[in-house]
Formats: sequence, structure tokens, C-alpha cells
Amino acid sequence: MAVLKVLQKDELGKLLETLSNEFRIIAPVVRKYGKKERVEYHQVEDFSEIHLNRQPDTPPKKYFLPQNERLGEERSGEEVTETGDRKTLIFGVRSCDLSAIDILKPVFLDDDFTDTYFQNRLENTLMFGLGCSERQENCFCDSLGINPLGDENVPVYMHDDGERIWFEVKAKELEKFFTEFPDGDPKELEEKKNSWLEEFKKSAIEIGVPIPLPELVSFNAPFWKEVAANCLGCGVCTYYCPTCFCFGFFWEKREEEIDKWRTWDSCMFPLFTKHGSGHNPRETQDQRTRQRIMHKFSYHPSNFEGVPACSACGRCISQCPVNIDLRVILKTAEKYLDNQEGVKSSG
Amino acid sequence: MGKYLLPYRGEILKITQETGSNLNIKTFRIRLKEEEERKKFKFLPGQFVELTVFGVGEAPFGFASSPTQEDYFDISIKETGLVTEAIHNMKEGGEIGIRGPYGNSFPYEEVKGKNLVFLAGGIGLAPLRSLINYVLDEKNRDQYGRVQMLLAFRSPEDMLYKYDFSQWEKSPNTTVKYTIDEECEGWVHCVGYPHELLNEELDLKEPDTVFFTCGPPIMIRFITDELKNSGIDPRDIITTLEMKMSCGLGKCGRCNIGRYYVCKDGPVFDLKQLEKMPAEF
Repeated sequence: MAVLKVLQKDELGKLLETLSNEFRIIAPVVRKYGKKERVEYHQVEDFSEIHLNRQPDTPPKKYFLPQNERLGEERSGEEVTETGDRKTLIFGVRSCDLSAIDILKPVFLDDDFTDTYFQNRLENTLMFGLGCSERQENCFCDSLGINPLGDENVPVYMHDDGERIWFEVKAKELEKFFTEFPDGDPKELEEKKNSWLEEFKKSAIEIGVPIPLPELVSFNAPFWKEVAANCLGCGVCTYYCPTCFCFGFFWEKREEEIDKWRTWDSCMFPLFTKHGSGHNPRETQDQRTRQRIMHKFSYHPSNFEGVPACSACGRCISQCPVNIDLRVILKTAEKYLDNQEGVKSSG
Repeated sequence: MGKYLLPYRGEILKITQETGSNLNIKTFRIRLKEEEERKKFKFLPGQFVELTVFGVGEAPFGFASSPTQEDYFDISIKETGLVTEAIHNMKEGGEIGIRGPYGNSFPYEEVKGKNLVFLAGGIGLAPLRSLINYVLDEKNRDQYGRVQMLLAFRSPEDMLYKYDFSQWEKSPNTTVKYTIDEECEGWVHCVGYPHELLNEELDLKEPDTVFFTCGPPIMIRFITDELKNSGIDPRDIITTLEMKMSCGLGKCGRCNIGRYYVCKDGPVFDLKQLEKMPAEF
């Protein structure tokens, strides 16, 4: 049974202060880029900067798969994961981003080729979940079966009721950080959660498309040209995505040594699949958009127990410069498949 | 624990210029530097390896030698891009990075007792040579039935592994035929594209025959069509695909065809599997 604690918002600093003795604290903070303000996960020293009011613009994926990661010196070949001296605590991770890490796990922790870098970071990190008391800009996690108010895989799950932060402390070893704070009334929290869920239900959209999308029928469907017509191939959707994990390698000379690095890459880029011979299996933008959607909603769930490689955070929708909307693509696919006889039954 | 994304150190033992300057294919004989690592390195016909030119980059290549040859492996490389150009410029004794082996393999166990037909075009002979030399190895030869080969090249100048041919021809119950695209002086073998010659030059009707083909994509398509039209079961038509495999681990996202990753689920597929996959290769 979880211990339930309630903190006034101005008490958060005190909690984080003690946690920071043991952990490197990562939390959403406001960062300024010229006139633009963004909420991003960042290491925090000043806990008054923490901004829990809305979904961060970028996911915490970079703490498990860094955008640029030094793999080691290419010739002497020691594989080292640079994780720092303390464990990392990522504070206030919403259900979409928590689910996203779960989606990455079977890919990087498979028995054949365990990704030691990802594994080391995962083992060195814990996350405090944060429930959404209201729907965020373009998200629809509840339509993909994700609970916006809970996750069983995190040691602590938080709820923000506007005035106070509730902590469901599930891990025994973390209870010591909460002893000085008052207990919460489980019934009161339950009522709040129910009312928040009610609100979610009112704004829920139905994702009626079969998952996995049937591979050949969907692949050969004519609608890809239409839904990708505006796509610039900028790759923003993949860079903001909490589950996109395509990567490439690059090399950097450092004095006499050469370092091998891993970097995020994107299936939206035309050179991504281009062979040395000049042949390119995904030559046009609609083929690449098809790959991105099919990977998330057909290939990945086919390979990993029906789970789509999307946690419906909606960031690709919010950030797309030409307003391509994943919800519209899925609806288009649904309509098309509905008109194809026998598709749903044959899966 | 073995390495994961960083290469082991290898050395180039021997470089053979296979073709004229038109295709410019060289075969590199390579082995791991450390004896300990060499002992652990076991590959199967049909698998591939990632080779690193230090400071330049990494690229995937199929094994062109048989695993019965344990001390080293051969990789045949056409000069076509940054990494292949750098490898082509290397000298014997040069240092090279090795990651692998990766991928599935030709079904060399499952086809024991069967007749085998090899249909190769140009450098597509490289991955098949791994299996051919495995099957024709004295220790293995009696476990397989009749072996027929039709080896296609653009011109006599573009032939690979000429030094193997007499061995292959001498092997019991084995026939080897050669073809080039156009008639030329002094050429005594077949002329024409391999799919046009299949029925004429080979015995396709023998029961229990498995076909292995590799070459340019267009050749693979024509050959598989021709074989299917001749009534061959698609499960008995086996090919190996090439994609831009970068990680080799089924993760980096480049080489998938539908749900299958060529680097991990392939590169060897039979035609029945290919027919169920999206046409994206």
C-alpha cells in the first residue's frame, strides 16, 4: 500500500533539497530562447524554477537516449556510459512520457543485443510520475489505453490539484524523504481523480483504427500521398517525439584519438535510407511519412505485443510547422480500412 | 562481456583485385587481431559484418568466404562511397574495425540432402560464395545433392573469383555455367541475361531442389518470376537482401521492410516471405 502525502506547493523546495543530497534532480523548467519560452527538462539547482503547470515541450527521452552520446574511443574500444556520480531523479514525468520509456524498453533491452548504454542510464535513473489534472494541448493518451492519472512502474506518482501536490509514495526506500510532511486523505484524492477523469472522458477522442494496422493493406493504401502532401521533411515530429529512437553514428577526432558517437537520426530525412549505390527505398516524402506512421502503429505493435510506438503526447501535432495532425492521419486510415472488406477481421 | 557498438580491431591480410577498373571490386582477406577474439568469432554463410575504417565510417558487408575457413574471412567490396573508397585505398597489413557477425543465415542445415542451384549476378556472387564454398568443402560435399550454378557477369573483365572456378568445376556432381551480357571475342560460354537462360542451361525439374539467387535487384526480380512461372515453390527460392544496415541490431531504423529488419530478421529471405512484405526494397 502506498503512503499518501500532501505538500503545499511552497514546500516542494524543501523536499527536493533533501532529495538532491542523494540524486541529481531533473525537472521541467522554463527556458528562454529569444522571445520564446519553453518548458523543458533540465538539471535544477534552484527549485523555485520548477514548472509543473503544463506538459513540457520536450520529452525526457534524452536522459535515456541522449541526442548526442559519446560511445567511446573507437580504437581502444572501452564502452563507457557517462552517468555521473549520483543517481538521476526525473521529477514530474507525465503518463505519456512514462509510457514512452516503457515503449523503448523492449527495443533496447532485447535479449539478442542489450543496449548497455540505455540499460545503464535506465538503472541509474528513477522517475516521479505526475498526473494530468487536465488535458494538455493536443494529447490523447487515454485513447490509446494509457492512464493520464497513474503508472504502476514508477516509485512515486504525483498529483497537482492546483494548490497542493499529492504524492503516492510506492517505494519503501523513498518514504524517508516524506516523513515530515502530512498524510493525505485517500478518499479526497480518489474524488479528485474521479472528477479529473470525468473531464478527460468529456474531451476524449476515439481512435478506432485497428492496432497493429494491417500491414499490406495499409502500406498499399492511396491516402499517404494525401496526408503527407504538405510535409516538409523537417523531422521536427521525430525530434520532439518521446518514442522515436532512430539513430546514426558519427566520428570525431580528439587529438590522436577518434571518438565514436551516436546521434538521433530521423526517418523523415531523404538520406536516411539511401544506399551507397544511389538506390533509395524511401525516395519520396510520402513514403517516409508512411514509414513513420506504419512503424508506430503497424510494425512496432506487430513486433512488441500489440503496443503502438506512440504515447499520444501530441507534441508532433503541436510542433509541426505545416499542421500535419496525427489524429487526422489515424482517422483517414480508419475510414479507408473500414471500406476495405475483411480487413478488421483478418487483422 | 563483448562489445556492443564499438568495433574490435582487425587486420587486412591480403587484397585481391577481382575485376577491371570498370566495376573495381577488390576482395579483402581479414582477421581479428587478437587470437582470443578470433576464436570467439563464428559466422554462418549469409551473415554480414560491419567494417570500420577508423576515422572515416562504418558500412555493412556480407561474408564472401566459408566459415569452414576459420582463420580469416573474405569480404568483396566495390568502390562506391566514402567508406568503400577508404577501404580500397588501404594496404595489406592495414588496421580495420570489425563488428558482428550479424543477421540470420542461409538455411545450410535445412537444405542438407537437397539439390542446390546458385544463380548469381556480378558482386551478388559474394554472399553466395560463402555458401558455395561451405557446400563444396570436402567435409560437407556428400551431405548435399547435385549442385548447379549459373554465374552472370557484365563482361569477362567483370568476373569475380576466377581462381575458384576450376575447384568448383572439379567438385563431384557439380556443374558451373557462365554468362555475360553481350557476345565478345574469345568467349566460349553462354551469352545473355540469366533469367533467359535458366530453362535452357539448367535442370530445374529435378525434385527437391532449392534455388539461391543474389544480384542486382532487377535480376533477382526477373529470376524469381521465371522460377515461379516454372512451378518452383516460393519457399524453395532464397535470396539475400541489401539495405543500409547501420547498427546491425534491429534498432537504428534504416533497413526495415515492413515489420522485418533486414539486419536482424534477414538478410536471407525466401520468396514466400518476400511476397508477404511491403514492396519497399
